[in-house]
Amino acid sequence: MIVADQLSKIFRDKKRGLVRAVDRVSFTCQPGKIFGLLGANGAGKTTSLRMLGTLLEPTRGKATVAGFDVQSQPEEVRRHIGFLSNSTALYGRLTAREMLDYFGKLNAIEPAILARRTDELIERLEIGDFQHGRCDKLSTGQKQRVSIARSIIHQPPVMIFDEPTTGLDVMTSQIIMSFIEQCRDDGLTVVFSTHIMSEVERLCDEVAIVHRGKIAAQGTVDEIKTQTNQPVLENAFLKIAHDLDANQSSAQTEN
Amino acid sequence: MPKLAQVVFRKELRETLRDRRVILGVIVSPLLLTPCLMAALFFFAGKKTIEQQTSTLEIGLYQQASLPELAAYLEKNEGLALTDYPTREAAIEAVKTLAARAIVVVPHDAPDAFNLNASAPVEIIYSQANENSANALNRLRSILRKFNQEQTATRLATAGLEESFIRPTTITETSIADEKDVVGLVLSLFLPYIVIMGAAFGGINTAFDLCAGEKERGTLETLLVSPVSRYDIVKGKLLAIFSISLLSALCSILGLLIVLLFGGELSRELLDQELAISYANLAAAALVVVPLSLFTSAGLLLVSSFARNQKEAQAYIFPFIALMLFPAALSFVFGAESPLYVGLIPVLNIAVTMKQLLSNVFDLPFFVTALGSSFAYAMAATRLAVSLFQRETILFRS
Repeated sequence: MIVADQLSKIFRDKKRGLVRAVDRVSFTCQPGKIFGLLGANGAGKTTSLRMLGTLLEPTRGKATVAGFDVQSQPEEVRRHIGFLSNSTALYGRLTAREMLDYFGKLNAIEPAILARRTDELIERLEIGDFQHGRCDKLSTGQKQRVSIARSIIHQPPVMIFDEPTTGLDVMTSQIIMSFIEQCRDDGLTVVFSTHIMSEVERLCDEVAIVHRGKIAAQGTVDEIKTQTNQPVLENAFLKIAHDLDANQSSAQTEN
Repeated sequence: MPKLAQVVFRKELRETLRDRRVILGVIVSPLLLTPCLMAALFFFAGKKTIEQQTSTLEIGLYQQASLPELAAYLEKNEGLALTDYPTREAAIEAVKTLAARAIVVVPHDAPDAFNLNASAPVEIIYSQANENSANALNRLRSILRKFNQEQTATRLATAGLEESFIRPTTITETSIADEKDVVGLVLSLFLPYIVIMGAAFGGINTAFDLCAGEKERGTLETLLVSPVSRYDIVKGKLLAIFSISLLSALCSILGLLIVLLFGGELSRELLDQELAISYANLAAAALVVVPLSLFTSAGLLLVSSFARNQKEAQAYIFPFIALMLFPAALSFVFGAESPLYVGLIPVLNIAVTMKQLLSNVFDLPFFVTALGSSFAYAMAATRLAVSLFQRETILFRS
């Protein structure tokens, strides 16, 4: 389970001064469910997920992942999550099998268990034909299979996906989407960020619309459509973003 | 070392040793390319020296008044092709047009002075801007020195005097140093520079690849979301860079030894004797490379951690190179018997320690100061690199 409570991240930027990348974001992700963060580029999705993955430290607020506090128990949090994003790459000069072996060791898996687990993943994700090939020689689809195997080598109870299909072709995206569904079916807690509406409609049990660092709306896809009186998710998203911008402008004018 | 840091180290080393650029720069180049280039350099330098000593020189002679003794002496030298010039202007023009390499001018008052047993003036016209002309000057100086010796002997004999009349003392030089000491001194002049270059620059590719390169390729984020702590990541990476830097420095030493050991003829020409160096001293010199490599590795890790990508790291590396080159170049100036404060100057302290070990001027307080301060600087640079790794603004700069 993931619990984010008033999570905030403020950066200092030379040109823009203090920037609130994430502003008091709260949500809960349950095991066996997929929670989506939907937002435009720069909305604060990646920063939110990086705080959950302990890559960034929250400026304010709290979050627990699998029962561990992201600030006081970062290594325990990382031991219990699988993190897959479009920027988590593979080591080009390692083979696919060496890649899994390396991350298994970093997760302190016993050698015998690691060997068995590696074999299982190689078979399940159909990596066998290229398991001894260097990662920099693999096709995009093959790399994604290895990345998936890398993210679950330690059997984490929580999976975090940060725009995992960005830049991928349809066939490769399908591999990722099917894997996310498999995680839900296996009872894992899944949080998933994207800006692609169709992915949200297909995958998410619950979705939060993130705009300018804030959660502007939250619920199931149908609930969001109902709240906005829009039959299409894309239009609902645009209306929510527009309303939030209008509210902020009027607040600034009053001040 | 913690277990996870070991896992990181082994993986980094495995990946680095699969990098052809590293293999080429750290192992192939110093062990194969550098010895071949140095052998070629010695070969051509030796060939040129022999040519300079034996080739026939076109020399002009302009006599304002006849000095037959000198003209005859120059005439009988087989290495000289003499041409007479009627005027000074013609002689200068001949040097300018390369028709003659140098001109011997006998002024009008030279014969009188020569015949009165005084010192006869002789002028040599040459062009300092022309290498062959400058070499001709040296050859003429040597020939004229022998002419002077012969004439002095004749004058002394005529006057009934012994040679000791103009040589009040006879000097005998006795060196107590053995061959190993002499070769050690010669090696100590340039070995520290080569080793520092190896230690400082051998790990550049590895350091750039392991931090700035990982940021650029996105693999650093993959690593950071694993349970390994950032401290262990830095330690593992530092140890990998250190191993490569050390390997590079040791290969540089080995490459130089290959030239000197297997180029027997060359080493005889270069050092005027066979190479015979104490292996114990050489091993000690290799040992002091350890803190140097650790220091340079930590510095490289620091630069690479700060940079967004490899291109930016290459821009940041220039001040680092300057900081390494300056004390390395100073090692030519500072002798083995340097004051104790030099032991506190990074890089230079190791160079001087190596000089001491190679030339048998071991100074224990200096040795301890140099090694201690180098380890302290390495630790400080490492701590700085660790603290950079804790900073989000550094790791996730965009």
